[in-house]
Amino acid sequence: MKDKIRMILFVLILGSFLTSILLLVDSYASPIIKRNKILKIKKSILTALEIPYNNKNITGVFSNNIEIVKKKNKTFYISKNGDVSFKMSGPGVWGPIESAIALKPDLKTIKSITIIHQEETPGLGSRITGKKFLNEFKNKVITPEIRIVRAGQAKGNNEVDAITGATLSSKAFEALINNQIKLYLPLIKGGKK
Amino acid sequence: MIFARLKSTEEFKTVANGLWRDHPIFSMVLGICTALAVSNKVDNAIAMSAGTTFVLVATAIIISLLRKLISTRVRIITFMIVIASFVIIVDKAIEAFFPSISEALGPYIGLIITNCIIMGRAEAFYIQNKVHLSILDALANGLGYTYTLVSIAIIREALGFGTILGIRVMPAGWTNWVIMAMAPGAFFILSVFIWLSRTLAKIEP
Amino acid sequence: MAYLLTIFIASVFTNNIALTYLLGMCPFIALSRNPKTARGMAFAVIFVITLTAAINWPIYHLILVPLHSEIIYYIVFIIVIAASVQFMEMIMEKFLPAMQASFGIFLPLVTVNCTVLAVSLFMILRKYTYIQTIFFAMGSGAGWMLAILMVAAINEKLKLVGDIPKGYRGPGIIMVIAGTIALSFLGFAGMVSIQ
Repeated sequence: MKDKIRMILFVLILGSFLTSILLLVDSYASPIIKRNKILKIKKSILTALEIPYNNKNITGVFSNNIEIVKKKNKTFYISKNGDVSFKMSGPGVWGPIESAIALKPDLKTIKSITIIHQEETPGLGSRITGKKFLNEFKNKVITPEIRIVRAGQAKGNNEVDAITGATLSSKAFEALINNQIKLYLPLIKGGKK
Repeated sequence: MIFARLKSTEEFKTVANGLWRDHPIFSMVLGICTALAVSNKVDNAIAMSAGTTFVLVATAIIISLLRKLISTRVRIITFMIVIASFVIIVDKAIEAFFPSISEALGPYIGLIITNCIIMGRAEAFYIQNKVHLSILDALANGLGYTYTLVSIAIIREALGFGTILGIRVMPAGWTNWVIMAMAPGAFFILSVFIWLSRTLAKIEP
Repeated sequence: MAYLLTIFIASVFTNNIALTYLLGMCPFIALSRNPKTARGMAFAVIFVITLTAAINWPIYHLILVPLHSEIIYYIVFIIVIAASVQFMEMIMEKFLPAMQASFGIFLPLVTVNCTVLAVSLFMILRKYTYIQTIFFAMGSGAGWMLAILMVAAINEKLKLVGDIPKGYRGPGIIMVIAGTIALSFLGFAGMVSIQ
């Protein structure tokens, strides 16, 4: 009996000692982690809206240039000259893709697209993060919808060349863009100032 | 002469065992999940092995200090609580200071808990040895784990991305072996490592 | 409903926990020498993964999150895993001795199988709902079983005909087999994808 009590006491003391260390670590680390996450979103939105920034003035640039509008729990980021940006997410080939898009004030032309997170095949599908691919989207129109076609065959102003050797990732990204635009666009069209 | 005397000390044996003779990955084939999963880039491998070594050393200190107090019946759960606590510290530290590495490693940092090397060493060594020997053992095992993981990662990153630590090493015309950056490449490279080390160390299956 | 099926199929084929995420390798190497033990272990894994995920989800979302103590979830999860394995062993010994005899011996080993903890961590990371978690857990277990059975079967055939270099015998050749199977599983890419 005495042994058992000693055992339980030992585990309890050790447990509470370690937990207090952990709480200390948590109180120190979690504000930094939170800040990192917010900074990451701000960075990608600023990049999508093509507003220049450096690592030191992100927060200032963001609050000076961008107005946050919430519509039915979807968040829109509107810049001073009326460009509208929002986050998009959807399934890729291996895991989720997260991205941010910016539309020009006419809500038809793409200003630019950036990738926030992806888990595509390294070296093949992961090239969706490359400048060459993302730059193709600039000034394309989203009506009736964006189409990613075989490399070298993009003609219309809603067509973009796919990545050679990464047809699946290209297709997944195409579906992601069109689905998310369908979801977001009606909301912002209804009430943009 | 000095070397011969050194060779017979307990400290030397501990280090030699960790680094080569009982090398965790090659001879015991322990802790390979993480070795396989995060070795496609050198920086991930370094972060992972630094984390694992830290948890090993911290666990070694705590367990060997408390070894007279831990009763055999609760020892496994004690090991688990201690290991998990230090893994959380590592996890939070990496998330706070290296957010991009944290994202690349995902849940694998948490899986240091089930890395059999740590539990295995705690059970086999730290529970019955003095603190300084345990720390030596932890450092040796950690180092053994590190050099394996990093050398696998160097091969995989060089072949799979043409880079090492993000710096281009392969000639301009190099075609990346995409398979090296993915799961099958991990299996193939580790199998070559195991083959080489077993042939050199003459371990019989 | 369709999404549940997607999660299940993805966790068996495209995102196989053993062949894509490279988890649960220690028992993989040790047990895949013999298809019969491999099967016993695999059933135990499916059972324990599903059970622990089903327990861990409410603990995390209904207790730890409201209390703002997410930081200790690793500790809680492994204690739940260890305790539920122990508890299951006791129950089986008493009420299902036949089942205990068939895969009971593998139960203690499952505690240190990283797939079990990994499934609980993935379900938090991917923000699955309760039902999705159950399907994901069962799919991951089934995927692990598929992988270990294929490796064990090939390994057994190879023992009869293959002239394997000395250093490759044992873990080395199992790695090569697993790598080859992982290679063929890449062909499932794009079949389904999870969000």
